[in-house]
Amino acid sequence: MSSAPLAQESTDYAVVEGEPPELLGRNLVAAAHLLASATAFFFLSFVFAYFYLRSLASGAMWKPRGVDASIAWGTVVTACVAVSAILVQRGLADHRAGRRPEWRRKGLAALLLGAAALVLQAIAWTQQSFGPSDGGFASVYFGWTAFLFLFVLGTMVWLEMVLATSYRYRGFAAGTTEVAPGEASGDPYRSGADIRDPVSLIRAELEALSFYWAFLAGIVVLTWIVLYLL
Amino acid sequence: MSAGPGISAAAAEPVNHARRVIVAWLVLSVIATPLVAVFLGPAIPPGNGSDEASQQVFDNQVMTAVITPILCLLVVFFAYALTRFRAQAGEAALDGPPLRNEPRVQALWVAATGLIVLGLAGFGTFELLETGAGGGQGPSPIAEPGGTKKKLEVQVIAQQWQFTYRYPSLGGLESAQLVLPAHTDVALHVTSLDAVHSFWAYELGVKADANPGVDNVAYVETKGPRVFHVRCAELCGLWHGYMFNNGLVVDAADFSRWAASERKNFAPVAKYMPAYSHTYLPEPQRRAG
Amino acid sequence: MTTMAATLRAPLWRRLVGFNLLTAIVLGVGGWYAGWFGARAIVGPSLDYFADVDYNELSVFLAYLGGVVGFLAGLGFLNYPLARLRGYPPSLREKETEGIGRYFSLCTDHKVVGIQYLWGIGLFFFIGGLNAMLIRFELLRPNHQAFPAGTYLTLVGLHGTMMMGMMTSGILGPFGNYLVPIMIGARRMAFPRIEALTFWLLMAAGAILETTIFFGGFPTGWTGYVPLANEANPGMDNYILFFALVGISMTLLGLNMIATIVTMRAPGLTWTRLPIFVWGVLSTSTLMVLAAPVLVATLSMEALDRTAQTSFFVAGAGGSNYLYENLFWVFGHPEVYILALPGFAIVLELLPVFARKPLWGYRLAVAGLLGVTLLSWLVWQHHLFVSGINGDLRPFYMLSTELISIPTGFTFVCGMMTLWRGRIRYSVPMLFCLAWFFNFLLGGLSGVFLSDVPSDVTTHGSFFSMAHFHYTIMGGLVFAFFAAIYYWVPKMTGFQLNERLGKIHFWTMFLFFNSTFMPLFAAGFLGQPRRVVTYPQGLQFLNDWVSVSAFCLGASLLLFLFNLVYSLAFAKVPAEANPWRSKSIEFQLPSPVPVHNFDRIPVFSSDPYGYGEAPAPVVAPAGAPAGRS
Repeated sequence: MSSAPLAQESTDYAVVEGEPPELLGRNLVAAAHLLASATAFFFLSFVFAYFYLRSLASGAMWKPRGVDASIAWGTVVTACVAVSAILVQRGLADHRAGRRPEWRRKGLAALLLGAAALVLQAIAWTQQSFGPSDGGFASVYFGWTAFLFLFVLGTMVWLEMVLATSYRYRGFAAGTTEVAPGEASGDPYRSGADIRDPVSLIRAELEALSFYWAFLAGIVVLTWIVLYLL
Repeated sequence: MSAGPGISAAAAEPVNHARRVIVAWLVLSVIATPLVAVFLGPAIPPGNGSDEASQQVFDNQVMTAVITPILCLLVVFFAYALTRFRAQAGEAALDGPPLRNEPRVQALWVAATGLIVLGLAGFGTFELLETGAGGGQGPSPIAEPGGTKKKLEVQVIAQQWQFTYRYPSLGGLESAQLVLPAHTDVALHVTSLDAVHSFWAYELGVKADANPGVDNVAYVETKGPRVFHVRCAELCGLWHGYMFNNGLVVDAADFSRWAASERKNFAPVAKYMPAYSHTYLPEPQRRAG
Repeated sequence: MTTMAATLRAPLWRRLVGFNLLTAIVLGVGGWYAGWFGARAIVGPSLDYFADVDYNELSVFLAYLGGVVGFLAGLGFLNYPLARLRGYPPSLREKETEGIGRYFSLCTDHKVVGIQYLWGIGLFFFIGGLNAMLIRFELLRPNHQAFPAGTYLTLVGLHGTMMMGMMTSGILGPFGNYLVPIMIGARRMAFPRIEALTFWLLMAAGAILETTIFFGGFPTGWTGYVPLANEANPGMDNYILFFALVGISMTLLGLNMIATIVTMRAPGLTWTRLPIFVWGVLSTSTLMVLAAPVLVATLSMEALDRTAQTSFFVAGAGGSNYLYENLFWVFGHPEVYILALPGFAIVLELLPVFARKPLWGYRLAVAGLLGVTLLSWLVWQHHLFVSGINGDLRPFYMLSTELISIPTGFTFVCGMMTLWRGRIRYSVPMLFCLAWFFNFLLGGLSGVFLSDVPSDVTTHGSFFSMAHFHYTIMGGLVFAFFAAIYYWVPKMTGFQLNERLGKIHFWTMFLFFNSTFMPLFAAGFLGQPRRVVTYPQGLQFLNDWVSVSAFCLGASLLLFLFNLVYSLAFAKVPAEANPWRSKSIEFQLPSPVPVHNFDRIPVFSSDPYGYGEAPAPVVAPAGAPAGRS
């Protein structure tokens, strides 16, 4: 090729790293959708297992006598998750409208509700009349709820991260934050503050999070329908 | 870089490459396809041990005949293209003509592959639905050879690491060797007591997975007397490789004699055997704890 | 607005001990023991079912999970999430180091990750290949056993699982990570930390799989069928953990790739200007994101069956092994296209360069990739034609399986028409691409027999199907993998690979590959089932022929390894920036590529296949901001 090399070696990080935060926001939203797709396929496997084993009922062991999940516990857990997801949605609306303190309060409530759902689910496991070795339904019930527990836990960790950043930088308006080197990674030997105005990413991350949390809450409701109602 | 000379040199070529390739392909195909269909196709196993095996051989014969022209086309094309269009000495800096598309070629290719594929799928479905082709069909078979004609029922019970055969019509007789009468329609009910196995009666063209708790039915119409080999074709644990045996197809008279003597031998243990059933579920296979 | 300029220099102890492979291994071993004894503390000795061995399934699972967490913590993967939990804002880069050390630590430079992948995957590829040599050694004689039967099955399982697990990222890992950001005119992947995570997860997974030998190995082969897997040794847990971690790694890899390609294309890089390789990465990633979670879910169920005594797959206790077979192949068939599609893409990417012609039928080629992506979801029960599952659905699966050869054929016609009237140059990468056509043709035509139910009755589960998928995966993926290595490694490292050794490697590999696998079609038709430790006397000649060819194939791969080490470590002939006179953008950059790829984000005005067309610049430097505008 006759054309000259386009780029020379450059260590001027201020120039080459100056990415607009919108790009990271777009990435996060794309990732949230992809993560939701992956989550959907993960739980579709359990949906398939439920209906497949139910239709086969091998050895008449789909639901032996005494195996029935307590709908009261399931409803309470599902309600906690659903309300939490709605709160995050409302909080996002607040954040969009510039009502930061309202978002933080709603976010905190959502986090607490999510944590409550996890604790209640853990208690619910011990309160069932059956154990994991009691046939097909018992297997699906414990497997499905166990992994749903992990997904909800992960999402709550994510919510905590967004919320913690919101609280730490509650005094700053977006675009004005001075973030010192190492501040972003929490480690002075590790430079992490290479995103221009990282605090403005809270909104983008919240958009992604609220989508994913609403999606996961949808899966929780589906779980409730399949495991407790059908 | 300059690409101009490359274009003009290629465009000035008076040779019709496409016609050469097509002619060579037609000649090769016309010669090769009948040869393959007549000589190679019938030589492909599993042979002539049963109606199902013969049917598979016929399938293989048809498919080799269909894929021969495809193989010829690609061989001719690549042989021609790779020699004729190789960059000559001194052409190192030249580019080829910038041909980006040719809708007619695309349409032709899509239509041709589509037709071949639909034809093969239709042919395969027809062949499958005729007899089931010796494959395991699950508990409710859709393809039954000879309609609902009465068949000899034989149960194949797989376990680690052997096959046992049970003849419900002979009072639940159990045998370690599969013996079948000649020229008979047989329904094989394959099931397993532990892991997944696969019952493969090679010369009979029968293969059916043995699953615990499942009655997997395969049909076979035996031909004349012969020896055949039975192997396990699904990895089933430590001695999977040693899970094989011989089976026999014998005359009707020999079969009756064999059945009578086996029943006599079997009589003392018959009362201890579980009642004949399509599946036998032992205790759930799980490790302690 | 602050930049990285003010970074403090870490003290010596920190640079020696802090967050590299060494700390990772130390913490990994520590985490392993913590999990091991933690599980014993939870479960107690009452659940030990081997009187003489004081461990249980839970110990094995928790030990390895602890090991993985320790390993990742040692690499520094936990620093960022822990900082985020305390409310520090998001950041992009964990760490930039200089020199050789960055290859042994958490590095978020996509080019470093690509090279890490190349060596890491290469390592496990060679271990898997060694297992294959041992399998062929065992099969030299029909009855005499070189290895105990259990060891032989473990070798079979290790070979299959390593290849099917690791090589899923065999092209997307090294070449996807290295090239996709450059090809789309970006400076990084969308999620650099996740990118590094996928690599290190894979390495942890590889170590877990290999250590199965300390727990008795596993007898199931790569498919892990139940109930055999339920009754197997604790070594089975290693298989489950390996594949689950690979599944997680694949999901994240695919997610990162799609997010990058969708959001970070440079200005002017429309969907119809995207290099076909990027399209291949995109379609493969789609399959990864959607199929790998099914695998993880399936293995989770299997793990629960083994530890928590659920009965997902236990016939007679409310479960069914059909559930496993369905779920596994719902993942398993997209999986084989995860292996095959990058091969299609690389071949189509390279042919224009060496035929000196534009890629013929770009849209058809893309349609082929996407068509395969779609159809690969609809064919899974062709692995179960004789299993007794849904016997009445077999005609449908026969049709869908054969339909998939239509989009596959698009790749063929586009490749062939690209060669047509070209000025073909036979460099080593081109030879591998052409061999791909030969191998994949035989793989595809043998697939016709397997997709036809009557014929499949004999070929299913035999060496015929084994030869078939080696032709498609080794002949397809691995040959494309080597084409990519010979084509891009000079760009990635800045050093030429020896051409003469490369040609010897190609010809020996091509010859012995065919000499190894072609006779196996015959062995399968003659009745040799897969994964057997013994076989009929009459098949000894065929098997011996195959074994000897396989050893020669192994020797050919060693020659490649020699070439790689010799060229990169000893000969060190600097590579030109554009040794193949390619019009693709990565070859317009210096070799090796600078840390930040582009000073200014390029603007694209055409696809990279304008050979023989008016010499318009492929990319024009412009002052556009990063990201698609």
